[in-house]
Amino acid sequence: MSRLEKASIGAVALMALAGAAIFFYAPTDFLQGAVQRIFYLHVSSAIAAYGCFAVVLLGGAIFLRTENYAADRWARAGALVGVVFTTVTLVMGMLWAKKVWGAFWVWDARLTSTLVLWIIYAGYLLVRRLTEPGRQAARLAAVVGIFGFVDVPVVHFSVTWWVTHHPGPVIINDALPPEMLATFLFTFLFTMFCTLVLAAVMITIRYRIETLMDLKQLVPSPVQVVITREPEPVQ
Amino acid sequence: MSYLLIAYAFAVALLGGYLFLSLRQLRELERPTRR
Repeated sequence: MSRLEKASIGAVALMALAGAAIFFYAPTDFLQGAVQRIFYLHVSSAIAAYGCFAVVLLGGAIFLRTENYAADRWARAGALVGVVFTTVTLVMGMLWAKKVWGAFWVWDARLTSTLVLWIIYAGYLLVRRLTEPGRQAARLAAVVGIFGFVDVPVVHFSVTWWVTHHPGPVIINDALPPEMLATFLFTFLFTMFCTLVLAAVMITIRYRIETLMDLKQLVPSPVQVVITREPEPVQ
Repeated sequence: MSYLLIAYAFAVALLGGYLFLSLRQLRELERPTRR
């Protein structure tokens, strides 16, 4: 078993523990009931996605400066894993919204900017898929990745900059009763830690895949050599 | 309760599925090719 496979098993075990904490340890919300437990993974996935897109930003910036292809591979890995986590955030949020707002989707600033974030990085992946691999594609993708990151603070601060259906910051809120705070905060921080570990493992696996795929493209395919016998001289 | 279960089932399916497929792809790429 490789080190990455062992790391994956560790990350899955941590996520299982986080699941146990969410379902059996965290307090049930007085107003929303059990559905509020969506919060823990919904927010953790969003933060993991921010982290992944930060990897795209850094990888792109380093590639533009140094033309180091390892940085480009980290960026590619971050984008794909970031899109996966943004999808989890969006879908879990939609299901939670249906229960508490009565609609899967409202076009408020938080939801719309998150959808735009998903589209930007899905576009980034599309650019990588459609363009011929090489320096030009990596440079173009780096620019998309760097400018795309502008949407991350917009998503994060949208609930304070504009009036939204989506609730504002919950953790930094004095309204939470102190007796609930410890269990709630522990479950949230533990889930966030486990999700970040999972994201880091996923990015590392993807980086390794991208490295091996790049190597495969560099190695020339074997040339078929046909040896023909020279015609024998006619006597 | 059903929305909660659907939400977590979706997350487990997507994250778990992605991780599984990634590991399978990695294993295939790391397998030595016979020439």
